[in-house]
This record gives sequence, structure tokens and C-alpha cells, in this order.
Amino acid sequence: MKRGWVKRLLSLHGVLFLVFVYAPIVMVVVLSFNSNPINMMIWSGFTFDWYWSILGYPTQLNEQTLYVESTDQLLGAVKNSLIVAVSTTTISTILGTMTALALYRYRFRAQRFYQGLLYMPMVMPDIVLGIALLVFFVGFGVALGVMSIIIGHCTFLISYVFVVVSARLAGMDDTLEQASADLGANEWVTFRRITLPQILPGVIGGALLAFIISMDDLVITYFIAGVDSTTLPVFIYGMLRRGVKPEINAIATLMLTLSFIIATLGLYLRRRH
Amino acid sequence: MARRGDTRRLAFLLGPASLFLGVFFIGPLAVMVVYSFLEPGLYGGVEWNFYHWNYGRILGWADGEWEEFDAVYAQIFLRSARLALTNVAITLIICYPAAIWVSGLSARWRTMVVFLITLPFFVSLVVRLFAWVLILRPSGFLNSSLMGLGLISEPIDIIFTETAVLIGMAYILLPFMFLPLYASIEKLDRSLVEASSDLGASPLQTFFRVTLPLTLPGIAAGSVLVFIPSLGNFIVPDILGGAKVLMIGNLVEQQFLSARNWPFGSALSVMIMAVMFVLIVLYLRSMGRQEARQ
Repeated sequence: MKRGWVKRLLSLHGVLFLVFVYAPIVMVVVLSFNSNPINMMIWSGFTFDWYWSILGYPTQLNEQTLYVESTDQLLGAVKNSLIVAVSTTTISTILGTMTALALYRYRFRAQRFYQGLLYMPMVMPDIVLGIALLVFFVGFGVALGVMSIIIGHCTFLISYVFVVVSARLAGMDDTLEQASADLGANEWVTFRRITLPQILPGVIGGALLAFIISMDDLVITYFIAGVDSTTLPVFIYGMLRRGVKPEINAIATLMLTLSFIIATLGLYLRRRH
Repeated sequence: MARRGDTRRLAFLLGPASLFLGVFFIGPLAVMVVYSFLEPGLYGGVEWNFYHWNYGRILGWADGEWEEFDAVYAQIFLRSARLALTNVAITLIICYPAAIWVSGLSARWRTMVVFLITLPFFVSLVVRLFAWVLILRPSGFLNSSLMGLGLISEPIDIIFTETAVLIGMAYILLPFMFLPLYASIEKLDRSLVEASSDLGASPLQTFFRVTLPLTLPGIAAGSVLVFIPSLGNFIVPDILGGAKVLMIGNLVEQQFLSARNWPFGSALSVMIMAVMFVLIVLYLRSMGRQEARQ
């Protein structure tokens, strides 16, 4: 009797937990279609106008309310975000995978040190890493811009890729690799034909994770972005600081959709293998 | 498994990342520590003199001749620590029952729900906080619904209070508490719990004597993972706390972007890093003891 009661209470808590997690997100999505330009919380009809207006098209709502944010700046931020995310994903995936291979296929003295070193960027508070990079770049005369953001993101994304690929390598034995070597294949052939196909789901998973974190990073980018190299999250942060506008709902919904697609893709890949 | 030797291949695999992290991770942290001991110059520059008053200003040995000691810095530090601890408690209370619930679900549902709980982690921080601005501000969702229901007649002030900051921090850091807790509850040997209740222990006794002690590693890991990012947070207090709830992260940001006292900002940042190191060392040590006992 008593057991059933506890169980029901737990289920109720669990459902409320999920509601707490998703209600704010769902609300933003719903509000992005609300045509009320004055009070967001009062529904006055379905519209796509906020989406058109962030793309710079004149809409009925926009003419009335003059809620225009500079579309050029927004598109520039999107462009910067994509450049940064693609570059950091490429660099950190290659370096992270190489490090994982080194730590899981060889035994050497500084191994534990390396493991510790690789976990450090993930636990380091964002603000500490952000200002350390700022002081470093300015101190050595490196111009703040897309390049400095790419470097900054890689310092912690290498670790994320490393962790994901390591998890894949930990559950794998190297008999096939040894067989391939015994049969006379050289290192490169063994890597391309045997190792890579086996670890590929981990590498793709790590790359997706790196891409998504790079696209979404705010704190570190905030400190090391130059004037012309604003990324999307920094741009929205700036908008938000100046006041709440209905267009932010639409931008947020688009970002949400992208994040959800990539995360789901990652999960799908992990479960298939 | 391990092939001894072959330093050439190892160097090829490890070299690039070592170089990169050495220059762009260790390097900046070292430069920041050096900066924290330099004298602040005019207009945001630095003078290359050894200058420990940056720390004196915070910890209390500045004498007023060189640098003013102001207790406000220590107070902000303590407030940040208090808020971070409160946040650990909140996320723990929310996530523990949730993790027990998830671990009792069927395998298919379990994967699904864990995925659903981790998914928001991949949504941009600024988007998630924006949602809470919409909920908590005076004309926001919460006040509109409460007034619509006739429960209150005037909007209540939630945004720009500590409560708002705590809600926001708990919201963004939930997965960091949930995942380690879930991992340790999942690993829990069910037969021990059953044995305890078969031997006549009440559900509460079983919980406090069996379940809780066995899941301590998860609680410790979750607490560290939530405390560290809470302590140095500046986005949440900035967006949801306004000027009223200043945390150490906001202070650091001000030193860099408006006050332009980089050495002082570096000193504050070094202190955040020191707290992090102490916590990590304590955590690793207690985990080591745990392993030794088993």
C-alpha cells in the first residue's frame, strides 16, 4: 500500500520535472508565432511575421512598431558563428581524436598527467578561461576576431571530442588492428581501413558535440570577440540587454531547432552502433 | 593492448594537441596569474612591478596607502559562494527523486527520458535565460497568469532578485546534477535495498541507511559540477539579477570591460580558479578513499 503511494509521488515529481525543463522552451516557441506586438503574453493570432522581420522583410507588425534590429548585423553574426563552428569542429575533432588514440592505444609515463590536463578545460569556469584568453591575446598583441574565437573554442572542445572518442575506444579491442599489421598493412592503411571505421561513430558524435557547443558558446566568446566578430549568442545577449523584443523569440526558436536537430542526430548515431 | 615504445608514433599523435593546449590553455592561465601580481597602470594598462595589493584589496591587507581595502569584495565572494551552495542544494533536491524515478522506468522509457532531460543542455544558454526573462518579468508569464487567476492584484517583483538568479542557475545546471546522480543510482545494487526492507526497515530507514550512502559518489560529483559553474557565473546574475544581485563573475567582468583594472580582475579570477582546484582535489581524494575502502 505504502509503496504504491511513494511510487505515485515519484512519478508526479518526474512529470513536473520534465514540465519545468520544457515549459520555458515551449513558451518561447509559441510566443514566436504570436502577432501581438505590444503584450507578448496576450495571444492575438498566429503569424510568421517575426520570422520575416528578422530576415529584414517589411511586415505589417514591423511597420507599426519599428522593432527593427539591424538585419545585416544579425546575418553577420550568423556567418561568424558558422565560420567559427565549422573551423573549431574540424580542428578539435582531429586533435581530440589523435589524443584519444594516443592515450588508449599506448602506455607511457605522463599518461595520468595528460588525462588530468584534458579534463581541466571542461571543469574550468568559463569566465576564468575567457579572461585568461583575453589577457593572453591582448598581452601578445593578437588581434581579437574570428581567429581568436576559433583558438579559444578549441582549447576546451578538444577535451569534449577526446572524452567522446575515448568512450568509444574503451569498449573496443585492438585485435583487428594487430591482425592488419601482421598481414603487412602499413600504419596509414591500418588506420584508414580498420581503426577509423570502428571509431567513426565516436568521432562523428564528438564532432557534433563540438559543433553545437561552439555554436552556443556565450561566455568565452563574449570576452574574446572583437568588434566585428560578434557571434550569434553574443548578438542575442546584446539584444537582450537592450530590452525584450518579440523578434528574439523567433531567433531563439530557430536556434533551438538547430540544437535539437543536431543533438537528436548525435543520439541516433550513438544508438545505431 | 599496449604497445611499449614506438615514441615516434606517440609523438605524432600527441604532439599537436600538447603544443596547442600548452600555448593556448596553460599559457593564458599562467599569464593571468602573472597579471594578478602586476600594478594596474593608467587607462587599463599594467606596470611591471610586483604588486600584491590586488589580493590585499580583496582579502584585507591593503592599508589605504597603496590600495583601498573594501570589505565589499569579500562580501560579494561570500554571497557568490552562498548562492552557489544554495543552488547545489536546490538541484540536488529536484534531481534526486527524479533520478530515482527514471531508474525505475522500463529500459525504453529510461533512454527516452534521459535524452529528454539532457537535450536542453544543448540549447544555447542565452535562449534558455531569455525564456526565464519572459516568465519572471513584471509583465511576464508568471505575473500575467497569477493576475489572470485573480491570485494577486499587482505584479510581484521576482526578476532582479536572488530568487530569480537561483531559478535561472538551477535551470541551466540541472543536467550536471542529474546525470551523475542517475549514473550512481542506476549502478545501485537493488538487492541491498530489497534486503533492507525484507529485514523490516521502513522505506525511510532504507533510504537513509542504504540508498543515500551508496549514492554518495554521485551526489559528490554532481555537487562539484554544479558548484563550480555557479560560483563564477556572470550571465545569469547579469540577465536575471540586474544590478542588485552582483556576483563575483560580474565583478570580474566589470574589471575587464568597464573599470579596466585588469590586474585586479585577474586576481579575482585566480581566486575563483583556486576555489575550483581545492574542490577538485578534495573530490579526487575522497573518491580515492572510497575506492580504497571497496
